Amino acid sequence: MNSPEPNPNADWIRRVVECHEQPLIRYATRMLNDHERARDVVQDTFLQLCRQSQQELEGRVTAWLYTVCRNRAFDIRKKESRMSHVSDPQAAAIESREPNQGDQAEQRETANSARQLLTQLPDQQQEVIRLKITHGLSYREIGEITGLSISNVGYLLHVGLKSIREQFAS
Amino acid sequence: MSTDPHDIRITQYVFDELNDADKIAFETEMEQDPQLRQMVEETQATVGSLQAELQGDPVVGLTEQQRQAIEAGINNPGSVTPGGEQVTTPSTGKALAVMALAASLLLAVSVGIYRYSQTGAIQVARFDSRADSSQAITGDHSTNQSRTDQVASEPLDSRTISEESLEESGLELNFDGKEAAAGLSSPHPVPTTISTKPAARRNKFQSAIPLPPTVRGRDLGVDRGRGPGEGGDRFDRIYENGFLAVTDNPLSTFSIDVDTASYSKVRMFLQQNRLPRPDAVRIEELVNYFTYRYEAPTDDHPFASRVEITQCPWTPNHRLARIGIKGREIDQAKRPSSNLVFLLDVSGSMESRNKLPLLRRGMKMLVDQLGENDRVAIVVYAGAAGLVLDSTTADQKGVILGALDRLQAGGSTNGGAGIQLAYQVALDHFIKGGVNRVILCTDGDFNVGTTGTGSLVRMAEDNAKSGTFLTVLGFGMGNHNDSMMEQISNKGNGNYAFIDTDNEARKVLVEQISSTLVTIAKDVKIQVEFNPKEVAAYRLIGYENRILAAEDFNDDTKDAGEIGAGHTVTALYEIIPMGVSSKALGKIDKLKYQKPTKPSGAANNGELLTVKIRYKQPDGDTSKLLEFPIKDTGKRFGQADQDFRFAAAVAQFGMLLRGSEHKGDSNYAAVLEIATEAAAGDKSGYRQEFLELVKLASQLSDR
Repeated sequence: MNSPEPNPNADWIRRVVECHEQPLIRYATRMLNDHERARDVVQDTFLQLCRQSQQELEGRVTAWLYTVCRNRAFDIRKKESRMSHVSDPQAAAIESREPNQGDQAEQRETANSARQLLTQLPDQQQEVIRLKITHGLSYREIGEITGLSISNVGYLLHVGLKSIREQFAS
Repeated sequence: MSTDPHDIRITQYVFDELNDADKIAFETEMEQDPQLRQMVEETQATVGSLQAELQGDPVVGLTEQQRQAIEAGINNPGSVTPGGEQVTTPSTGKALAVMALAASLLLAVSVGIYRYSQTGAIQVARFDSRADSSQAITGDHSTNQSRTDQVASEPLDSRTISEESLEESGLELNFDGKEAAAGLSSPHPVPTTISTKPAARRNKFQSAIPLPPTVRGRDLGVDRGRGPGEGGDRFDRIYENGFLAVTDNPLSTFSIDVDTASYSKVRMFLQQNRLPRPDAVRIEELVNYFTYRYEAPTDDHPFASRVEITQCPWTPNHRLARIGIKGREIDQAKRPSSNLVFLLDVSGSMESRNKLPLLRRGMKMLVDQLGENDRVAIVVYAGAAGLVLDSTTADQKGVILGALDRLQAGGSTNGGAGIQLAYQVALDHFIKGGVNRVILCTDGDFNVGTTGTGSLVRMAEDNAKSGTFLTVLGFGMGNHNDSMMEQISNKGNGNYAFIDTDNEARKVLVEQISSTLVTIAKDVKIQVEFNPKEVAAYRLIGYENRILAAEDFNDDTKDAGEIGAGHTVTALYEIIPMGVSSKALGKIDKLKYQKPTKPSGAANNGELLTVKIRYKQPDGDTSKLLEFPIKDTGKRFGQADQDFRFAAAVAQFGMLLRGSEHKGDSNYAAVLEIATEAAAGDKSGYRQEFLELVKLASQLSDR
């Protein structure tokens, strides 16, 4: 019985996994509000990584990982919202204007916390701010991952931070 | 100069995202403007606080089993399925487990996937076997629908099993019209071509906020469309409409659509020897690309509508219903005065041959047909927004064409400011009772500057309410935010066309100028009620992202599509008559808590369905209702009129390109046969062109 050939990308994949495991789980948890499912999504993402080569992804691994992770999380959310009879296709397509409802833990914090103000922002602004501050991604990467243009990313970051800044100061 | 708090450079500076030149300029401004400095400092403080507060969260890591699964994947990448999940056992040697599982995985791929929980019991994991995130990167959306299969002894969620086993039987039968028809779109992002960021000059006033370490390096472009070298287009996901049982979904409601962009894009793909991505294929736009010889309205109504029914060519025991609407033609000489503002994207990306030069030629074609009662202004957006030509009467063609000639591509885009300016100019020269329209021409990468997509759409919506409509013309492929262009033209009460050639420019801007410019009815909605005694189930072909809730039909505040002068609009329903057994109907259990509703007396009159249409006058706020029933006279396909047969062929073509599960007995040869016969005598050349596309698609899909 032959054992399969050693994967030339093995070391690279392990390094990437080690480096990105925590941030990706954090990211997925935010999207799905659920540790269990978040870990599944991240596992799937890393399994996908196993099919890639270092050459293909050189220099853009980070954006790739987050994009795969995000898509997978969306697929799961979509599947579940179909089960619960979401009706308006246009609402899903247009930027969400409602703040994220799932951040109960964070919202219980003191009223003055910048973080609490963050949770009151519309979904898209929140996501972009977290990708920038928590995950340290560049505008370009954030644009890649979310499908927004770079200027749009810049705008959302600015408007979101401005919101927080102005309320924080008052 | 007062300090602009909306200046996004403030944030860019704090995150060190300005290039060297911009950074120097900004710092100079900061030196001179204490308010600006203060805003920068406050932003830095806010970012600092957020960083501190957000870092604290402990994060659960992957479980041991999950790590082992990944390790297995590393050692044997071939065993990872496209769905991305894998199987591990907690026992024995890894290699053995991997081998055994690789074998069973090959079986399991189309059947199901197992995941051992920590207790060792088998649980079922639901997953999408084809539609998933990895394909976002490899560029292959081969299906629009996700399937879940389950084989399990301990189901995760017993509620879902009955639905899933229905899905397993091959076709979806949904119990709720909304759920089925929800064209839920999740714009899966597309990585676009990126170049290296040059070594940055350090911030002068403060060091850049230190950011968590990530894996970085040179970014290489990646393509998500099916061709090398082009940045991908972004399309909304389309979840195809399935069959709905009449007893549960007696009403089908949707907004009409006269956009044609999808057809142009499909044509462009095929002519470049590529098959279009399924999500780029909007069947209603393919069908509506062609004009049909529907009867014109004779009375006061702005349009006339008829329904025809024939045999469904791809599934002969089904019927096909066509709702056809024809807008009133306008005599060119009597066209209302027009106040047009061209809003042109002249950013660097527009320079290629199929963009700005083509745009210039197209605009010239349009201007050639305007007269002294019309006005034209040109606003450009690139770098900053600028008024290149103030509103000028169209008899001064030299002045207008001269301004068009002087347009140069260059700079990056600032779309938001451009749109604001364009609407402002339109408002300044508003013609009451006339045509007031902003015509946005772009290759679509809406770098929106200081406004976001949401606010752009809202701006379009607000202006549409006060009578300035928006037409969106896309030029060039790549970086083309199709989904955004469609949204903004919908909300702007306009249409969206994609101009890939001079011919298409001529079609949209010359032949159909009246349709493009003159709206004769707005917020046009259709609601069909099916007779449960005659119809078992129905399926709306296309219009997935135009579906409305039943109550939206009578809600005049709900936006819908517009009809231009002379436009034809076609909608097709595939119908399963009562008494016909069809694979498409799954088995539904009888309800336990409800008795089936009784049909009313009216159901006995032999009508198949009743069509209702609501529309508003272009400057009106209250909708009017039209209503008419139709009986099926049992025509065979060959007895349907030529236009109907052609439309059916186009719909079939769309379904084949999408890989639709409802395509029945179709294939490209059948499409070609029907379309060739139905295209006989067509002088426009468009139907002949369609035949060529069918042949191309046929060849490409054989490879």
